[in-house]
Amino acid sequence: MKSLFYNTGYFIRELFKTIRLSPLSNFFSFIGTSLILLLFGLIMISWWIGDNFISSLKDEAQISAYFAPGLKQEQMHTLVEEIASLEGVTAARYIDTEMAYEENKRLLGDEADILELFDDNPFESYIDIRINLDDMDSVIGKVSGLQGIDYVRDNREVLVQLKGLVNAIKLIGSVVALAVGITTIIIISHMIRQGIYNNREQINTLWLLGAPAWFIGFPFVLAGILLTLLGGVAAVGLIILMLEGGYAQLKSYLVFLPLPSVIELKQNISYIIIAISAGLGLFGSLFGLSSIKKD
Amino acid sequence: MNKGIIKASDLSLVYKDGTKALNNINIEINPGDLVYITGPSGSGKTSFLKLLMGIEYPTEGSLNVLGVDIKRGHQGRIQKMRRQIGPIFQEFKLIEGRSALENVCMGMRFFGIRPSKIRQQAMEALIRVGLESKIHTKVENLSWGQAQRVAIARAVVRKPKLLLADEPTGNLDHENAVSMLQLLASFCDSNTAVVITTHATHLIENQKNAIYVHVEKGEFSIKAGKTGIAAIS
Repeated sequence: MKSLFYNTGYFIRELFKTIRLSPLSNFFSFIGTSLILLLFGLIMISWWIGDNFISSLKDEAQISAYFAPGLKQEQMHTLVEEIASLEGVTAARYIDTEMAYEENKRLLGDEADILELFDDNPFESYIDIRINLDDMDSVIGKVSGLQGIDYVRDNREVLVQLKGLVNAIKLIGSVVALAVGITTIIIISHMIRQGIYNNREQINTLWLLGAPAWFIGFPFVLAGILLTLLGGVAAVGLIILMLEGGYAQLKSYLVFLPLPSVIELKQNISYIIIAISAGLGLFGSLFGLSSIKKD
Repeated sequence: MNKGIIKASDLSLVYKDGTKALNNINIEINPGDLVYITGPSGSGKTSFLKLLMGIEYPTEGSLNVLGVDIKRGHQGRIQKMRRQIGPIFQEFKLIEGRSALENVCMGMRFFGIRPSKIRQQAMEALIRVGLESKIHTKVENLSWGQAQRVAIARAVVRKPKLLLADEPTGNLDHENAVSMLQLLASFCDSNTAVVITTHATHLIENQKNAIYVHVEKGEFSIKAGKTGIAAIS
């Protein structure tokens, strides 16, 4: 511990000397690490948006239950209360024929004129049911089985497809995260091995003088962490620039998607990339150091 | 009092290619001993020093240096043992691009000593070997003899229990070679044993109070000496 403390200046000088010994190679390592971490950051953001979307879907998932013919108004309200109390149902609301007409008019937008062709309101009253996405199947089963319910209309296919899409993004994200980790470790460990090779005579001398392995290896570990951290900082900088330039535009294209706050996104991605780059730098350096021949 | 900082029993070394470097060596060296190992090139002198440094391992017999058995699997202990040795390599192994002072400091950085104290001791060592005017000169700009003195300073600044010098007279003229041997011998005291290998036997004929070991084809034989050699074969 004393040696570590007393040699802080020496380790810092050695760290920069290690980097200076093969500047071009280390520059390419830095660029490679930055781009890989940038890719990782972008995948993380997609993952985040997808996760946010799935959470919203879970809260916002909706089915419509239509009444059997001849049901009285009181029976309809009783059914609404009964459905609201079911497990997995977050809210149940009675929609009368007028409200159904207005809702469909809103949904048709510019095509709403078509509704004027009808002499009477063609829409039925129904129950708008908000459910937890995970409980969709069981809720649909229970609601369909209630007396007084004619049929249930759901957007299950769309929801399942969206859920599948988000899960695919998550899977790709996991694969990319793994690939980023492995690639960064390979790049950094290669850089460390090259540093060791360039300094082999000095290392050999220190070894013969009895220097402990940690003392010999510490500057290389520092160099690996520094280069990866710099790569992480560059990736964060690029991601922030991209978010500042493109996030508002993305929001305007994806109006139907509830996007997370850009400030929160910037903070989280910065913390994650910096932490991951430091961790990968440390691991890559230690992996590269394991190539020091002790005998 | 017999402390035996080097104890070799029936020690043999055969390299992987089958070359027999040392054969059935028995020797004991104590603190304060000044040992000259002489012999022609390829006789096994450097191989013996490599064994003492833990760079090679005995293929037969046993070797104990500063309380550590030199054998495979003892790397951690050997590494600690090396910190008590002051090696002066034949090719010096100085670190280029650094000054004489930095090279001497390098040998002590991992001893847990304050940098200011390391620097002070390193400067004293460089002055002792006569390099006060070259303290801040990069080692690649020093002459062969000056570089050798940096290597000596780096070895002795560690206050080693064992000072090992491999062919220190190699490229020196007669006068400088004698002066070099005298300098190395001056580091021998009650705490430090000095082992010097050389093929120039004529340079050490006038040395007194020393142990002389002659190596021929990997076998040790005594030429002259006082105490400290328990057995020679």
